[in-house]
Amino acid sequence: MTADTISAIIVSGLVLGSVYALMASGLSMIWTTLGIFNFAHGALMTLGAYVAWTISNSAGLGLGLAAGIAVSIAALIGAGILIERIVVRPFYDDRDILLITVMTTLATMIFLEKGIQLIWGARLKQLPPIIAGKVQLFRTTISAQETLIIVVAPLLLGALWLFLRHSRIGRGIRAVGQNPDAARLIGIDVSRLFITTFAMSAVLAGLTGVLLGSVRLLTPDFGDEPLVKALIIVIFGGLGSLSGTIVAAYLMGIVEAALTFFIGIYWAPSIVFLLLIIVLLFRPQGLMGKVAR
Amino acid sequence: MPISAQWRGWALAALVVVGLLVPFFIQDTYLRHLFIISYIYGVVAASWDLSLGYAGVFNFGHVAFFGVGVYATGLTAKLLGIDPWIAIVIGGVAASAVAAVIALPVVRLQGVYVVLVTFAFSQLILQLVISQSQFTGGTQGMVRVPTLRLPGYNFLRDYKFGYYYVAFALLVLTTICLRRIVRSDFGLSLKALRDNEDYGVSRGIPIGLQRLKVLVASAFFTGIAGGFYVVYLRVASPEVFDFSTASLVLSMVLVGGTSSIYGSIFAALGLTFISEGLANINGLGEGRFMLVAVAMVIVLLFLPKGLASLFTLKARGRPSLEGKISGKF
Repeated sequence: MTADTISAIIVSGLVLGSVYALMASGLSMIWTTLGIFNFAHGALMTLGAYVAWTISNSAGLGLGLAAGIAVSIAALIGAGILIERIVVRPFYDDRDILLITVMTTLATMIFLEKGIQLIWGARLKQLPPIIAGKVQLFRTTISAQETLIIVVAPLLLGALWLFLRHSRIGRGIRAVGQNPDAARLIGIDVSRLFITTFAMSAVLAGLTGVLLGSVRLLTPDFGDEPLVKALIIVIFGGLGSLSGTIVAAYLMGIVEAALTFFIGIYWAPSIVFLLLIIVLLFRPQGLMGKVAR
Repeated sequence: MPISAQWRGWALAALVVVGLLVPFFIQDTYLRHLFIISYIYGVVAASWDLSLGYAGVFNFGHVAFFGVGVYATGLTAKLLGIDPWIAIVIGGVAASAVAAVIALPVVRLQGVYVVLVTFAFSQLILQLVISQSQFTGGTQGMVRVPTLRLPGYNFLRDYKFGYYYVAFALLVLTTICLRRIVRSDFGLSLKALRDNEDYGVSRGIPIGLQRLKVLVASAFFTGIAGGFYVVYLRVASPEVFDFSTASLVLSMVLVGGTSSIYGSIFAALGLTFISEGLANINGLGEGRFMLVAVAMVIVLLFLPKGLASLFTLKARGRPSLEGKISGKF
């Protein structure tokens, strides 16, 4: 194994890991705060990319990428709030909320994906890169956009961590995650925090979509594969721990890059899934996880 | 008021007779095709209801069992030249075998992890199918699967007359088996575990074994349905693993009401006709899945026990899924 190979694996592992970390942290946030699992997360990512495309592309409104990203963020805040209102909120008092919301968010995902297909059609689209050109990283040359993903993801995740750790809203979100009743007792507006969490997580998904939309081609099921990967990551990392999720995301990125390099792109996903099932046989609560809440 | 058992027996017998007479009154090939497809969905939905509704195992990989049946039957019939009748049974056995493997982690897991692992598992199967494209046709799908044969009878020249009866027999046999299972001691123990896991275990019910058995059983019928599906359509594509297929079947289980076997079957019949009917309306080809999604949410919001609860009036107070699919949660 030459230095070139190692460099190539690490670089592409970092790109994958960054995307996965952004996706999975949104899922993990909703899980810790609301105790539900949002299957529409991948579709939200697709929606973000398509909205940005429509605003920025000359075939759409042609207003440039910055406007596209801004509108996309606004749209996702709206989408996040709507999803929380319509398919999650009515079930808060139900003791089967976890199961019911699995089904309602799955329905939401289908609704969004098919809606996107109706509006934008099945033809492939691509966002313009935020930065054009190529960059030499270690011994590997990648596009500047992929470098941007590697740089932006940790910044976003760091900002998220600081926000959850130190801001008033962030601490409120964590308090609700630990004990909703006690949080309500000390005067935290739980219901507003649920909405905030959903909106933030939706924006994270949308930004992932915008970043990835210029590297991959946009299709209505653009978000499916990252969603499934994010699912696996939160299982590996153990649900409910943001740091565990992020570590697992980067690990998964590197492992997948290495597997793709050594055994090919067709077998790599199968091996990853197999590893997952084997890990769960011995550690049902995930590699780094505590017992589920 | 629950309908008395005797009444129900007569009603079911009448339905079977009606089902047997359908092809004599309906000559149209497309309508017969819809009946056949809805019977297949009925088998898949009802057997999902066994593991989901009765046993409370929140298995989201159910559609993958269907896919395993599709590909196991298709491949053995096409590549190994095995008679399609036998290949269909192989499809059921293969789905059961796969279910036994996935049951190993699932019976040890709690809560949302069951959902996640079974989801991940169905993706694993999908990836396997796509990666083995020299056999499975990959994303292009598998074509020219051999059709059913009987000596002296041609299944391709009878306007789907023969296939209708095979599908109908499959549905009736599956229903009888599923009803027998849920009414047996085994079925009772499943319900006990679902409604009160700790109590069930303390009374000596082997929880892991029962859940393994129920997954294997529900996968068997689903695999058979998958096998019949591929032999009937003669093509298979990875779309059977799609999220939309899963949500369509899930909506049948929900609309029909969990733990009611019959409910899922009637919902499958109704929803297949509605969704196919909508597909013919211009521009609704994709939109119908959106309507199915909306229907799912509405049913969960207002009728958690399915449409059937409209007729029984037994539910009191705020309707909830209490105990219906709570199982491990």
